Amino acid sequence: MIIPRVESVDAKTIRISNIDSVLAHCLYEIPDILAKRSAPGAHERLFQDLIADDAAANADWHNYTTPELHHLFASAGDTITRDLTGLADKQVIFPAVHLDAWLSALNQTRLILAALHNLTETDMEIRQLDLTDPRHHALLRVHLLGDLLYLLIAHSQGGQPT
Amino acid sequence: MPAPNQPGTIQFEETDVSESLDSPWNVIVFNDPINLMNYVTMVFQRVFGYSQERARRHMLEVHQHGRSLLWSGAREQAELYVHQLHGYQLLAKLEKTDL
Repeated sequence: MIIPRVESVDAKTIRISNIDSVLAHCLYEIPDILAKRSAPGAHERLFQDLIADDAAANADWHNYTTPELHHLFASAGDTITRDLTGLADKQVIFPAVHLDAWLSALNQTRLILAALHNLTETDMEIRQLDLTDPRHHALLRVHLLGDLLYLLIAHSQGGQPT
Repeated sequence: MPAPNQPGTIQFEETDVSESLDSPWNVIVFNDPINLMNYVTMVFQRVFGYSQERARRHMLEVHQHGRSLLWSGAREQAELYVHQLHGYQLLAKLEKTDL
């Protein structure tokens, strides 16, 4: 397995290289997965209640926050979708100011996949994946995008893993 | 009822007792098996301005105990924090402090 590499090209540009065909496929799927953020399960995960068991407060909360969160999440998805059009030769280069959008979109994608496939903590520990099983296929994508997310976070913190 | 400012009387301003004695609100973050540990630590640093050590301690508490109390105080500020945490896609809620 090839490990992707994240590095600064210069102060304003970041490059992800060593993107193998499997990770590239996962990245190309991101826009379609993000488009499911309003699907049952995914919507509840991304647009959460404020307080447990307080319907009135939560209704107010959703009126206030859902449009803003929807815009925030969609904007990050749009940014990474545009950046991915430049993916070629196993690498993609994007403006450093897009890094937060990448973090958000990768995390959203993982959460949506997990919600749509009801992935649990136990599932996350599975190491022998049967890729004919749609849930295991989702798990693979969650892990691969998680590995890239980890590297991007470490890069954002000066290469210091937390 | 005595006239206002009449000598020998003491005036009390009306206060909203329920507001002034309102117990603080807790910002709680819950465990989520999908969010990465370094992602959660980063979010705590960004939202609350915590040091990496403190953020990591809260992250481990979430991971090991299922939840962590991140902040406690006035409801308006607590809602702002929860809103930011939801923006980062962490599982977070407000809970009233039991006095």
